[in-house]
Amino acid sequence: MHEAKLCLSLLDLAERRAAEAGAARIVAVRLDVGEWSGVVPEALAAAFPLCAAGTRADGAALRIERVAGTDLVLREMEVE
Amino acid sequence: MCGICGCGSEAVHGDERERHHDAGHGVPLVRAHGHPHAGGARRVAVERSLLADNRDRAERLRASLAARGVEAIALVGGPGAGKTALLEATFAALGPAATAREAVVEGDCATDHDARRVAALGARAVQVATGALCHLDAHLVEHALARLDLGGVARLWIENVGNLVCTAGFPCGEHRRVALLSVPEGDDKPEKYPALFASADLLVVSKSDLLAHVAFDVERCVAAARRVRPGLAHLVLSARSGEGMDAWLAWLQQGAR
Repeated sequence: MHEAKLCLSLLDLAERRAAEAGAARIVAVRLDVGEWSGVVPEALAAAFPLCAAGTRADGAALRIERVAGTDLVLREMEVE
Repeated sequence: MCGICGCGSEAVHGDERERHHDAGHGVPLVRAHGHPHAGGARRVAVERSLLADNRDRAERLRASLAARGVEAIALVGGPGAGKTALLEATFAALGPAATAREAVVEGDCATDHDARRVAALGARAVQVATGALCHLDAHLVEHALARLDLGGVARLWIENVGNLVCTAGFPCGEHRRVALLSVPEGDDKPEKYPALFASADLLVVSKSDLLAHVAFDVERCVAAARRVRPGLAHLVLSARSGEGMDAWLAWLQQGAR
């Protein structure tokens, strides 16, 4: 239900880490989505490009892995 | 634009897109897929939860409330589970003098009906109208508390938006979390919405006065909840008939764990 808000949290975190890494743009993002997180991966994938527009992650690929548990974890990014 | 990495190339990838999204752990995020990347991409490990900011904020709020001598209890459950009715019955049982030391943050998508209901019994109440947002979080509760005088308050209730899904992952600074499931909702809800019940410190089966009228197996419900939260305590009560209210008040008196 709140995938767009989570997308903004994801982008906030990704942008901070990309800035720390001195990266101009984020090419890809890998996110672990817990089965009990209440998050629908398809909804997240749909919201992501819209939320990412105009950020360092504009056009970035979002790769979602379904995992056990309730958490949502930004594992790693590919940056340039 | 490349549909895999968004790098601007017009290259055609054939079935690469599917393989790209099926890739398992340990493979490069963006595999070689037919065109070079100027400069070359590099990987940055992050390993941070998107829920961590809220969890940290909730932990700080929990500590600051405890330091002020306030115990916070969260009520979660579906719309119509009887969260506000339980508060009303609790305040009625405590009486006006004790209720003056109770505060409530009420979360709903719209209206201030619930805040008015509990304020009518003498509790200090503030309503958070979340709009399209489906759950409260620690940040929203902090803002609500800025509008609430906690002087002399012993207990803060945080009544979340009626929602069996999203509320599970967002602690709001509470010390104890109570999940309500009303009898008409059905005894299979802990199986269907495990995360919510896994997050609870107490399961309250509410509207027990309706047990005679609907097929609800308390044992099945509790067993299912305990599969996701081993040892979870439960109470069966009715705010309307008063059944089970003594045990509920006793549970409250036990104080924060």
